[in-house]
Amino acid sequence: MLTYQFDWSIVTSGKYFEWLVSGLMVTLQISTVGIVFSFLIGLLIAVMRMSHIRPVRWFAHAYLEFFRNTPLLVQIFFWYFGSYKIFPTVINDWLNSTNFEFAAAVIALTIYTSAFIAEDIRSGVLSIPKEQLEAARSAGFSYLRSMQYIILPQAVRITIPPLVNQFLNLAKNSSLAMTIGVMELTYQARQVESYTFKGFEAFTAATLVYLVLSVVITALIHQYNIRVLNPHRA
Amino acid sequence: MDGFLNFQVIADNFTYFMIGRFPEGPLGGVGLTLYLALVSCVLSLFGGMILGLLALSKNRLIYYPVTILINAVRGVPLLMVIFWMYFLLPALFGTVAETNTVIMALTVFTSAYMSQIVKAGIEGIPRGQTEAAISTGLKPWQAMLYIVLPQGMRNMIPSFVNQFVSLIKDTSLAFIVGVSELTHVATQINNRTMAFPTEIFIFIAVIYFILCYAFTSFSRWLEEQLAWRKAI
Amino acid sequence: MKKLATVVMTVVLAGFMAKTSLASDTLADVKKKGVLVAGVKDSLPPFGYVDEKSRQIVGYDIDFVNAIAKKLGVKVELKPVTSASRMPQLQESHIDIIAATMTKNADRAKVIDFSNTYFFTGQKFITKKGTVKSLKDLEGKKIGTAKGSTSEQNVKKSIPTASVLSFDDYPQAFLALQQGKVAAVTTDEAILAGILAKAPNKGQFEIPAVQISDEPYGLGMRKGDKNFVEFVNKAVLEMEKSGEARKIFEKWFGPNTQFHLSRTFKIAAGK
Repeated sequence: MLTYQFDWSIVTSGKYFEWLVSGLMVTLQISTVGIVFSFLIGLLIAVMRMSHIRPVRWFAHAYLEFFRNTPLLVQIFFWYFGSYKIFPTVINDWLNSTNFEFAAAVIALTIYTSAFIAEDIRSGVLSIPKEQLEAARSAGFSYLRSMQYIILPQAVRITIPPLVNQFLNLAKNSSLAMTIGVMELTYQARQVESYTFKGFEAFTAATLVYLVLSVVITALIHQYNIRVLNPHRA
Repeated sequence: MDGFLNFQVIADNFTYFMIGRFPEGPLGGVGLTLYLALVSCVLSLFGGMILGLLALSKNRLIYYPVTILINAVRGVPLLMVIFWMYFLLPALFGTVAETNTVIMALTVFTSAYMSQIVKAGIEGIPRGQTEAAISTGLKPWQAMLYIVLPQGMRNMIPSFVNQFVSLIKDTSLAFIVGVSELTHVATQINNRTMAFPTEIFIFIAVIYFILCYAFTSFSRWLEEQLAWRKAI
Repeated sequence: MKKLATVVMTVVLAGFMAKTSLASDTLADVKKKGVLVAGVKDSLPPFGYVDEKSRQIVGYDIDFVNAIAKKLGVKVELKPVTSASRMPQLQESHIDIIAATMTKNADRAKVIDFSNTYFFTGQKFITKKGTVKSLKDLEGKKIGTAKGSTSEQNVKKSIPTASVLSFDDYPQAFLALQQGKVAAVTTDEAILAGILAKAPNKGQFEIPAVQISDEPYGLGMRKGDKNFVEFVNKAVLEMEKSGEARKIFEKWFGPNTQFHLSRTFKIAAGK
């Protein structure tokens, strides 16, 4: 009768190994591009969220609540399939001539992650004593300038560990991009499974790659916490 | 495509969005989404509690394996956990319905995150409490169960509700293994009608938002209530 | 730690062995349970899709499953599967039989057993009108199809320069074609015809006369499940003889439908 024959060679060398490696590269690409943009947008939203102008604050608030409380998968589907009716034809044609699967995944992941990053940055800012802002204002800095030169640089320093954590979340969440045909790590693992019927080996390989990624990144955060944030405790 | 949004497709399929093939067939749509989230939430509450307490153990033979397990689960995408359950559960227990496969995957995944909440909640209670309890003659496990855990629970409740919100969002991944929850039902209708992806995905995004936002607000309200009572 | 890992691995492996060494006799099991669990497509008219009014899954594949269940004297439970999920589902006993537009081929026959061919078609393309005359027109283009399908593997062989985008199912791939994200969608002609018939703007699309392979469909069953395979084969042969198989074909593809396909095959033993 059928007994499951383990065959680890398929994931350690040859064609299927190359598939998995190329999948990892795509995962890293999405995560890197994604984290840069979500940091920038997250920073912007965080500043808007703390603004004195009501409509600006409200917009940032609505943005945060909406994108954090909607599943990422639905957002990916929306940007890939649903955005079609919202953009004019010219933009659609241009998007389609590019690698739109990749772009849609990055857009969805960026917006989703930026909402979380904005909250991380905001709590970073809130942890800076209020007197600093008052001191900066009384020294003649405008609100935006005191944010830019005094508050944000400190807040970002505190925010780096959660930010790196968000990078890790991005890398993990990017597995959902397989649903729109982006050939990232999980997609390739599944592809290996459907070509070879060796699911056990393929998923073990992919799982190990994700684990190594998260162990390395967690270790980096740990080091940063010890060396930079709490140097005297080390 | 005429470029205008036409929400007629939602009205036509509203019952299907809400309950799927129920009552003639299995429950689907929003009903199944809530069922998956609720059942997994209750199970992972217990799972998280057990893992969290074990991770606080002083016995290295318990502490290390449990901590490694928790971090391993937190280190991989939920999608991977679902695929694994898909392979392992039938191997271990024979036939398992997809709905249960997804519930198990969500439970294992969420338990790992909940255990961190439990751990932090317990560590937030001053050590003196345990010492005091033990000095009155309670055994360490009694001190944990009757003195520390009940106080820690109060701090944990808002975080638990937040995990429930994550669970509602995470149930959308059940779509990938063919469980007819809201996202799956939406792609079915999208595949059949083929002309209203924008309308359909906006609609289910709003449904998810309403569900999640209601619980997020509830969690904030709880947090305020609990903080107020503590102050007295 | 090492010990624990060994224990875990042993349990897992024991599980695998236990599962795989069980001599499965689906025929007896199904009769005992009183239910035949079939993996079917749920958004692929006319093979398997959810009927808007009744909210139940119907189609060509489903009628075959119903007929077999009737001969068995059991009820039917339908489970939606995708091209990628149907084989693992069968092997892990989530379902008893696959009736999901599944092409018989040698690779798959190593892992599962197939019934006699119950539907016959060939792999073609669906494209925007007038854009594709021959395979050459698709070189270097994006082509959409479904994950884990034979269509995916065939098209990679016949047009190596094309980049193949795999979706969860064909209608999604067609949506991508409608929105101009791919130049063509490829799979079996009968499926393409089904998609085209349901498309809201079918005038803009066509199925050019470019075929890249033969696609005989079989019902999938677990490997070595002899009694059940024999029973199903006998059942479909009887359906051919009694004219029921032809009737089902006419119901879903005949002149009264949007497809107007004519039946060019017969269900025969050993094919």
